[in-house]
Amino acid sequence: MTLLNLELILFQLSLSFCALCTFGYLLSLLIKRVMLANVSTWVLIIAFGFLTLNLLTAFINSAGPLNLGSRSFFLFCAWAISGLYLTFQFKTKTRLLGAFISPFILLLMIAAAGQETGKSLLPENLRSWLTTLHLCLAIIGEALFVLASCAGAMFIIQNGLLKHKKLGKMVRLLPSLHDLDRINHLCLLWGFPLLTIGIIAGAVFAGMAWKTLLPADPKIIWSFAAWVIYGFLLHQRLAIGWKGSRMAVLSCAVFILFLLSFLAVRFCFTTLHNFI
Amino acid sequence: MILLIGLNHKTAPLAVREKLFAGCEEKQNLLSDVLLLPGVQETLYISTCNRIELVAVVDGQMETIHGLKRFLSQSGGLTDKEVNDCFYVYRDAEAIRHLFRVSASLDSQVMGETQILGQVKEAYRQALTQNATGLVLNRLLHRSFRTAKRVRTETAIAANPVSVSFAAVELAKKIFGSLAGKKILLIGAGEMAELTGVHLIGNGAEEITVANRSPAQGTALAENFHGKAISLENISEALIDADIVISSTGATSFVVSEDAIRLSMRKRKNRLLFLIDIAVPRDIEPSADRIENVYLYNIDNLQDIVDENMKGRKKEALKAEAIVEEEVIHYNSWIKELEAVPTIVSLRAMAEGIVQSELEKSQGFLQKLSCEDREKVDNLIKSVVNKILHTPVAVMKEESSEVSSKGIIDAARQLFRLDE
Repeated sequence: MTLLNLELILFQLSLSFCALCTFGYLLSLLIKRVMLANVSTWVLIIAFGFLTLNLLTAFINSAGPLNLGSRSFFLFCAWAISGLYLTFQFKTKTRLLGAFISPFILLLMIAAAGQETGKSLLPENLRSWLTTLHLCLAIIGEALFVLASCAGAMFIIQNGLLKHKKLGKMVRLLPSLHDLDRINHLCLLWGFPLLTIGIIAGAVFAGMAWKTLLPADPKIIWSFAAWVIYGFLLHQRLAIGWKGSRMAVLSCAVFILFLLSFLAVRFCFTTLHNFI
Repeated sequence: MILLIGLNHKTAPLAVREKLFAGCEEKQNLLSDVLLLPGVQETLYISTCNRIELVAVVDGQMETIHGLKRFLSQSGGLTDKEVNDCFYVYRDAEAIRHLFRVSASLDSQVMGETQILGQVKEAYRQALTQNATGLVLNRLLHRSFRTAKRVRTETAIAANPVSVSFAAVELAKKIFGSLAGKKILLIGAGEMAELTGVHLIGNGAEEITVANRSPAQGTALAENFHGKAISLENISEALIDADIVISSTGATSFVVSEDAIRLSMRKRKNRLLFLIDIAVPRDIEPSADRIENVYLYNIDNLQDIVDENMKGRKKEALKAEAIVEEEVIHYNSWIKELEAVPTIVSLRAMAEGIVQSELEKSQGFLQKLSCEDREKVDNLIKSVVNKILHTPVAVMKEESSEVSSKGIIDAARQLFRLDE
């Protein structure tokens, strides 16, 4: 078996397990059984293991991180989100949060399946350690914001149920408000500095490659706006004491806004970041 | 006739219960006032956060029943609609069964909770102090305590710690996840607040502050929890640190206002705050629930959680209902026997009268006898009379307790011409 075949098999396994855990999580939400969410978390752990092996084989096949393909880009996004989500599972009892996270992971895996395996993500002139660092940190930063928003969305639901005294099975099923708020807090706390370093790495590279730190590019403007707003949210959280439902609503609103802006930039504008 | 009139959490919304509670609490001599109503012989007033009930021994006239109903509705300033919708009236066996079920905690919001028996005992103590109870209610209450004890020991109805306080702990976990290190503020040093504190500590809460009107009681409770006691005036400061607030004072107005909570939320940087108001009338201004990151639950709100937790106890409740039924039959027998008592007394008096008159007639002969022989004759006559009366008295008691006293008593009175 060649490494390319192994990479393909590992990708198929990762995709299958991601689909399985997504199905399990959504079913657990539907039939209101947390046990199924626990099982799905184990399935996600297996999927994460396969994803890690898949990325390693892709790394070896492409002879280093600089030449990673666009499929690997999506794989890395899925790997980052699932890895971060699983890390939070050690600290909090928020198994059901997977029902909101896993569809994102599955979508990224499906997007990865649509990409050619051999095609390199970056053009020759943009390949650099700085761009790799820029990409990795930006992806991890954005992954943390995805998690923050999913936790925020679940917080809004649980908060609504508790506020309106609808104390049925759903309240018992969903994680506690404190745990969800804590995830939101930690994601902003770690996501913002990582995104900051990622943006700085990108800016330094832009300075070297294009002799300007901030080229007038729609995606850069979009990313900078995201960075400023997330920074604002973090500031309000740490300094002013915004917590709970307000942060949950804002995180979700900002995330939806940026998701829409991202899609608009992706499909309506030409950008320097048109690799994916 | 034993009569029970009242309302509870199943029939009346909190607002109506609050009105009636406040109205009845204002009456200094409630039991005496009830006893002054025409047709009322004995009475007992039970008031808890979930129910307000009057138990009375009455003459059975409709006017008496209406009078009691009117008394309660006027005390609480209730409308006719509220009276019709919320009040229940139980008579005789139904009333006995209801009281037994209440004492055995089968009619409580949290089935199997232990507080209610203490509350019924306290109500009985109050009635005893004011001489409001008599033969019928004394026996009824003692029987109800016995029923409650049997239910507790013979069934597993109280095996699991399901109560309002447990429901509160469950909710607290849904808000805070873990209760480890959480700070509790108890407002009021009542039994319910104490129990909730015990449950919260059992689940990891660490620091308890007790705010109470009576400093001695507050300090005593705080010492139990190794916590600290503060006065009610310092609640605003205590709100800044607390994570969970349990309020159960007997105050008739709000102890914690919306503004106080809003102000504290700013100082506590919007940390989640769980407020449990188990007092009736409510202690915490209901509008506080609108504040962001504040979760206010009153006693009615806890009902839903309680319902879920009660499912496991319903099986045990079936056994408990059987015990209650047994005790109702016992008590009913006694009550029916009681109906035969005046007739039995009359019968014995009649027999005694006959004996005395016959002895007087035989005075001449009896005087010839020695003292010892006269005593023997006396005993012989009494023994014969007792033996003759034994069967009719026993049959009257049996028939009264098992079927109905009406027929047999009428027959006995006619047969022995007791009414002449």
